[in-house]
Amino acid sequence: MAAGSIARQDQQPVFVLHTYPFKETSLVVEFFTRDFGRVAAVAKGARRPRSAMRGMLQAFQPLQATWSGKSELRNLHSLEWGEGLLLLNGEALMCGFYLNELLLRLLPREDAHEALFSYYTSTLRALAAGGEVAPTLRRFELKMLQELGYALPLLEDARGEAVAPALEYLYVPERGALREGEGQSGVQLRGKTLLDMAQEDYSDALTQVQSKQLMRTLMSHYLGDKPLYTRQLLMDLQEL
Amino acid sequence: MKNPPALEHLVESLRCLPGVGPKSALRMAYHLLQRDRAGAASLASALQTALNQIGHCSLCNNFSEEPVCPLCSKGNRDPSLLCVVEMPTDLLMLEQTHTYHGMYFVLMGRLSPLDGVGPREIHLDRLLKRAQDGIVEEIILATNYTVEGEATAHYVSELLKARGLKVSRIARGLPMGGEIEHVDSGTLAQAMMERRAIK
Ligand SMILES: [Zn+2]
Repeated sequence: MAAGSIARQDQQPVFVLHTYPFKETSLVVEFFTRDFGRVAAVAKGARRPRSAMRGMLQAFQPLQATWSGKSELRNLHSLEWGEGLLLLNGEALMCGFYLNELLLRLLPREDAHEALFSYYTSTLRALAAGGEVAPTLRRFELKMLQELGYALPLLEDARGEAVAPALEYLYVPERGALREGEGQSGVQLRGKTLLDMAQEDYSDALTQVQSKQLMRTLMSHYLGDKPLYTRQLLMDLQEL
Repeated sequence: MKNPPALEHLVESLRCLPGVGPKSALRMAYHLLQRDRAGAASLASALQTALNQIGHCSLCNNFSEEPVCPLCSKGNRDPSLLCVVEMPTDLLMLEQTHTYHGMYFVLMGRLSPLDGVGPREIHLDRLLKRAQDGIVEEIILATNYTVEGEATAHYVSELLKARGLKVSRIARGLPMGGEIEHVDSGTLAQAMMERRAIK
């Protein structure tokens, strides 16, 4: 390969989604980048005790990364702290892992999603600020499906008629809201839940419960058979 | 040309070591068989002995040849304090400071949600049992300040607090001799947020 074809990208806004050990002293870093989507890079020597990158390769922090290379595994050259640090604690931290697992599983490599990147950033900020996590997660899940091309119709039912708040529906992945009697398996919910979700209003207790069930079913539909580690971990902790 | 089966088997076995790929495994095997057969024999017997004799201390979960390790069976430690660390090396580092005189629990890992490492893999059930022996009064969480170490500390503290136990977390901030000008902004941000009143 000619030297000129090594694409170097300087100081790109990124988040670390995950890292895993590579060879004796290195790490493979899965980045969520603003302009290139999900990019994997080798951080050479990042597991050495004195590595300058070691402490910075943490999830949930805005970073600026410089890398080069064209193969699936880029070479990470340097990292700098980005604007505004995020401090996620406790439950918010586990929600952050959940977001990262969703992105690792659903976001294809090298597919730029600038709007999703910006939404991910503001979601992390909302989580870091504290408060109720459920509405924040629902908004992110909806936005992510939308950005990936799986937008859910919330205002119209499967026949194209306006969703009525008081009616009961059966929500079926890929088809949308069916009137009672039109389908057999799906998530049972009332019209108001869908309309609330369209408004991003999660103040109603029943909307919270039903939107959670809906999003869980949709996520499993798009994720396939392999369950989410983060969900399994929370279930295992409950058993203790 | 193929290597003899016994050599192939050795190379395969060496690959169970972290970070050792086929090439370095082959290099190690050649070295052991050609340059250092005495070293190889001693490695083989050390491995066998360790496998036979090393288990986990029933109190602190650290590696031990006895059912209860020397540190746990020494009578001069404060049994009301229990410090939770990720790895045996962390315990050794804390011991070197000579500032802590309580007991330990070694998780042998950390919760790592995206790698599928959950409460089972780090023996949280054993820690809960250990912490509720009726003598432990305070549990000090000394897991790493990484996102995984923080998640571990959070869930361990929730589980212990639900059982009425007092839990603390080791502090973080500027390093000894640390100058603000040269400290990374992550540490500085944390130090600012976790500032304390001067008494
Ligand atoms: Zn012990």
